[in-house]
Amino acid sequence: MAAPDTGIRVEPGSFRDPANRVFHAGDEVLRGLGPEGARDWRALSGSAFFAELLAEGKVCGTEEVDPARLPGWTAVLRHERIPFVSHPYEWSFAMLRDAALLHLEILRRALSAGFTTKDGSAYNLQWRGAGPVFIDVGSFAPLAEGEPWAGYRQFCQTLLYPLLLQAHLGLDFQPWLRARVDGIEPDQMRRLFRGARRLLPGVPTHVHLHGAMQGRNARASTTEVRAQLRAAGYSRDLALATVRGIDRLVRRLDRRDEGSHWVDYQRTCSYTVRDREEKERFVEAAVRAAGTPGLVLDLGANDGRYARIAARHAAQVVAVEQDPAVVDALYRALRAEGERRILPLVMDLADPSPGGGWRGVERASFARRARADVVLALAVVHHLALGRNVPLGEVLDQLVAYARPGGRLVVEFVHPEDPMARRLLANKPDGLFPDYRRDEFARLLAARCRIERQQELPCGTRTLYQAVVGG
Amino acid sequence: MIHLAYLDAGSGSLIVQAVVGGVAGAAVAAKLYWRRLVDRFRRQPTDRG
Repeated sequence: MAAPDTGIRVEPGSFRDPANRVFHAGDEVLRGLGPEGARDWRALSGSAFFAELLAEGKVCGTEEVDPARLPGWTAVLRHERIPFVSHPYEWSFAMLRDAALLHLEILRRALSAGFTTKDGSAYNLQWRGAGPVFIDVGSFAPLAEGEPWAGYRQFCQTLLYPLLLQAHLGLDFQPWLRARVDGIEPDQMRRLFRGARRLLPGVPTHVHLHGAMQGRNARASTTEVRAQLRAAGYSRDLALATVRGIDRLVRRLDRRDEGSHWVDYQRTCSYTVRDREEKERFVEAAVRAAGTPGLVLDLGANDGRYARIAARHAAQVVAVEQDPAVVDALYRALRAEGERRILPLVMDLADPSPGGGWRGVERASFARRARADVVLALAVVHHLALGRNVPLGEVLDQLVAYARPGGRLVVEFVHPEDPMARRLLANKPDGLFPDYRRDEFARLLAARCRIERQQELPCGTRTLYQAVVGG
Repeated sequence: MIHLAYLDAGSGSLIVQAVVGGVAGAAVAAKLYWRRLVDRFRRQPTDRG
């Protein structure tokens, strides 16, 4: 439905349910509801369970606004803005599990109140710091008695199966979800769970039986099967029992700890206490210089030391780290502390999330989402430049692009003499990176930013820079 | 309700939910399959005729 040019742009990831559509109007997030969606909303907004979920912060803040805001729609909702939109393939195991548990809790409470959710996708969830929130208010609809959950298959493909892969096989699920916007199919899962693995928790039913049933019922329409289930006595109590069963299963699943090089990074890396203290002071002063930044990106966040410092002064910090085990440990710590300003994400900076789904824009790329007030790139440049061979100028181009114009970049340059740089250089032929020098780095940085401050750490082999992008 | 079905829920995915819903669920699934079987036998003479 085309809106006149009022600065309103459609959210490309919201087309799947034609009953409603999400739009952006400046900083506002609006949802247009068609006649059916508006009817469902009236029932939902009058229900006690929905009011409770809103009050508990489990569903994103939602209020009805003037329908004239979106011409062509029967009713219009305004949603709370999510500080940083992320995708399930950027979450760690415990994050995906908590997201799944929240989805199940919301479904259970909806069913008890005579509602259901029309789908069951991991994309129904987002984060406020380390707390999950259900965002798809358009998914709620009154329940028809005798109706099984339409979102079960989606739940399996985008939430349950990825969790099973990690818990039972020790496989990181992120590449699977990133490669397939609709998640992992039951038939793919069946091939991975042969032999004794067939008997692992959740596998006989949700994987093998599910896959077999899909094959056997491929020619039966869902309308036909719904009618048959209703006639056979399928009930809301049964739907609730199923949801409780899945909930019990998900709670039993945990990450298989395979060990990780990066988990002990802070303990094994070459900093002295003085280096670390000075670096912390430099970073804190740089974040404070930005006022109260709305969004700080901490790239290569590791155990979140600098993300936590930034969070003292920022509204939201996104802590990006490539190792899923490290992100998982950070998330669990943040969740236990009740931290609401730091969102940890799994992503390799040398292979950032591309655009995905329909036309490559349904799930926005990381580069499109990242417009930070402050970008922290501490002990990152040498990994990209020496470890991954990215030309130094291009490393800086990308770091600068993650900041909004006028935003700040706090970047650490590890000199080629530093033990960490030497360790990376030892794996490459001599003379491969003639430009990897401090003077060249400073020149390239000055060509892109206005350097406000710089400081060499006491070790003498690392320099910190604070710069204004486009300044 | 047609309006719930913007998503293809998958016929097999609907039935399997009954099966994983414990004993009562398995009974519903068994009843569904029994009815399908009975219907097939009932339909056969008419089909031939």
